[in-house]
Amino acid sequence: MYIVKRILTMLLTIWVITTLTFIIMHSIPGDPFASDADVLPEEVLANMRAKFNLDEPLPVQYVLYLKDLAQFDLGPSIQSETRDVNTLIADGFPASAVLGLQSLVIALVFGLLLGIIAALNHNGILDYASMGFAILGISIPSFILAPLLINYFAVDWGMFPVASWGTWQHTILPSVALATAPLAIVARFMRSSMLEVMNQNYIKTADAKGLAITGIVIKHGIRNALIPVISFIGPLAAFLLTGTFVIEKIFAIPGIGKYFVDSIFNRDFPVILGTTIFFSTILIVTLFLVDISYRIVDPRIKLSSKGE
Amino acid sequence: MKKIIYSLLMVLTVIPFLAACGGGEESSGDGNSSQEITVNATSEPPSLDPALATDTTSGWVIDHLFEGLYRKNKSGEIEPAIAEETEVSEDKRTYTFTLRDAKWSNGDPVTAGDFEYAWKRILNPETGSSFAFYLYYLKGAEAYNKGDGSVEDVGVTAVDDKTLKLELKEPTGFIEKLLSFWSYYPVNQSVVEENENWAAEADGLVSNGAYAMNTWEHDNELSVTKNDEYWDKDNINMEKITWKMVNDATTYYQMYKSGELDMIHTLPIDVISSEKDSEDFKIKPYFGTYMYMFNVDKEPFTNPKVRKAFAMAIDRESITEEIAQGGETPAYAFVPKGVDTPNGDFREQKENYFDEDYEDAKQLIEEAKEEEGWDELPSVELMYNTSDNHKKIAEGVQEMLKQNLGVNVTLNNQEWKTYLDTTKQGNFQMARMGWIGVYVDPTPILDYYLGDSPNNRTNWVNEKYDSLMAESKEVQDEEERMKILHEAEDVLMEDMPFMPVYHYSQNFLTSTDFEGIVYPVNRYPDLRFAERK
Repeated sequence: MYIVKRILTMLLTIWVITTLTFIIMHSIPGDPFASDADVLPEEVLANMRAKFNLDEPLPVQYVLYLKDLAQFDLGPSIQSETRDVNTLIADGFPASAVLGLQSLVIALVFGLLLGIIAALNHNGILDYASMGFAILGISIPSFILAPLLINYFAVDWGMFPVASWGTWQHTILPSVALATAPLAIVARFMRSSMLEVMNQNYIKTADAKGLAITGIVIKHGIRNALIPVISFIGPLAAFLLTGTFVIEKIFAIPGIGKYFVDSIFNRDFPVILGTTIFFSTILIVTLFLVDISYRIVDPRIKLSSKGE
Repeated sequence: MKKIIYSLLMVLTVIPFLAACGGGEESSGDGNSSQEITVNATSEPPSLDPALATDTTSGWVIDHLFEGLYRKNKSGEIEPAIAEETEVSEDKRTYTFTLRDAKWSNGDPVTAGDFEYAWKRILNPETGSSFAFYLYYLKGAEAYNKGDGSVEDVGVTAVDDKTLKLELKEPTGFIEKLLSFWSYYPVNQSVVEENENWAAEADGLVSNGAYAMNTWEHDNELSVTKNDEYWDKDNINMEKITWKMVNDATTYYQMYKSGELDMIHTLPIDVISSEKDSEDFKIKPYFGTYMYMFNVDKEPFTNPKVRKAFAMAIDRESITEEIAQGGETPAYAFVPKGVDTPNGDFREQKENYFDEDYEDAKQLIEEAKEEEGWDELPSVELMYNTSDNHKKIAEGVQEMLKQNLGVNVTLNNQEWKTYLDTTKQGNFQMARMGWIGVYVDPTPILDYYLGDSPNNRTNWVNEKYDSLMAESKEVQDEEERMKILHEAEDVLMEDMPFMPVYHYSQNFLTSTDFEGIVYPVNRYPDLRFAERK
């Protein structure tokens, strides 16, 4: 029952997002067919508008769009003459997802480790060192970090290719650049959560019972400290998997990150809608998965809709 | 407790070490002597279908894949390609081409029918081609494209497989230039009819030029290999061309430095000064003009003297040398250098249309004020589309107008598509624009300010100008045609509905391993004749 309700809410959410995006997108001034080489006769423009249903009144366009959407067809792209939005996403998503997954793994593994080390060494040298690193990670923007990484690891030391996509070597530098900020955030989250948990009475009790410290930290400490971190992982995963404009541009990665931004500048309406819907779907699904994983980490949490 | 921390620390340090292993040998720089070149397209070509392509990136790849009736040779001159013989009727309206024995990359012969099919396809309203108007020189083409005529009346017919008949609306002096342009390339009729999306992926794309499609990973890289079916393949040395799609200037510069790219264009501005003296560095003129349009319906630009005074009051040398820095050249006219005429370069036949003379400019402003009865010059707002480079130039111009003319100008910027909307509606006094000629001739440049041109946002309409331009399109004698075009530009520059700022340039870093690369003034480099030494 819970799952069915959740899925219905998810569909409703996507419909609301689609509608809002549709309205906002059509209220920005500018014409998808406008260019500085404005040489098209009106008749030709009319042909092109008709091709994308743009000659219909907005409510009609909206209904037509929803109809296609119901069949999972995100429509043609105005900018790309040959690929429709489904193909654009299908072509670009794998690269973005590989990059996102790797960064997610790096961010989680190192972030959690750093956070735990810092918490266990509270106010010690390792604590300051890892939090110092975390603050650096949060405050250095990726468009600065990425060229620095390229400059040293690719140009000076020749360990990795500068940019582009193809082999696993191509994925390392962008993954690291993309992971740094979330890694730092995860580390800080984990540290404070861990500190709180380690001061709980049940930890003291376990300690007093004479349980091995390793067991306490792993079984009671980390497991309980993870809960707040998990709620952060949902949105983080959605953001990382759907690609980022800056990293993909700097490393010339054939992902979908740039379409989120370029489509707006090009007034490529179907791509604006398509990428927004795609992103929201992924976000909503990961949030759903996060909710389910709470239950696995902490069986006391009951999955139920409000009011039940 | 300590133990746990240490073991965690171990994990933390070991993982990156493991990850780094094997990263040592990397794939970049296949620095051997094979005939391959890797260049940068900066972005995915939107379309490799000659009927749908409208941008120079797509055109760059298409020019290597396809070939029309005419083509550009090594020295940039137009020469017959698929057309073996050309017969022109007395009235210069009918051309009959005999095609040479040429083949498509799939082995099919290139027929006259392929040309007829390709041109009618562009003109078909349902194709929605934005470059269809480049074929309006054909009889009946405009009517068909606009939905008022039928396809049978379009002036192109395949008489037989080897003979193509072309009927023009008017005699057209620069028809050979047009015929070498990608909108006039043939497509393989049976391939296109079989698969509507034939040009969307590497697999379906069949071409008739020097190269054939090899691989295409969207947004990443595209490669073409020498076309074994090409009639002139003996003159092609480069076996493979790869276009990477790297958009970030710093990144492609670093890729050039690490040997992953053999040629890049449009260097990041901050490295130009350090690369200027390197052997790899090249600056080539680009067939276009950066300008500020004046809205002649809005004060103070209703008065031509004000327009002229503004044009005279800025220091173009310091704009190109200190602000733009990419090798641009100061512009004192509309048509850039690069057009060959019977009497040499079109631009060099005329002196500058005005001087940068601040005293005279001030004088003109005073005269205008008197004529119009203004106590003060009406306030002026200069608009540009949001971009760092345009902003720097606008700020420079603002400062110069203040210093040299005593005029205060305010600045305003808008994001590109909004800006196009605003300027199209004429909601500006003075606004930035750039224009590049699709083929190297004064016509595509000067057509910009025709009274009925959709590009002319200045509200400036001049009958004499329009009729001179119309006349130039009918004249057959090249010398006469250039004379008329000069007269037209005289009229334009007398009235100055815009002020030219600079003529564009392109800068490149090209590995010295290569020779034979041709740098056309309105296209990206032609790699067909390139060779690795």
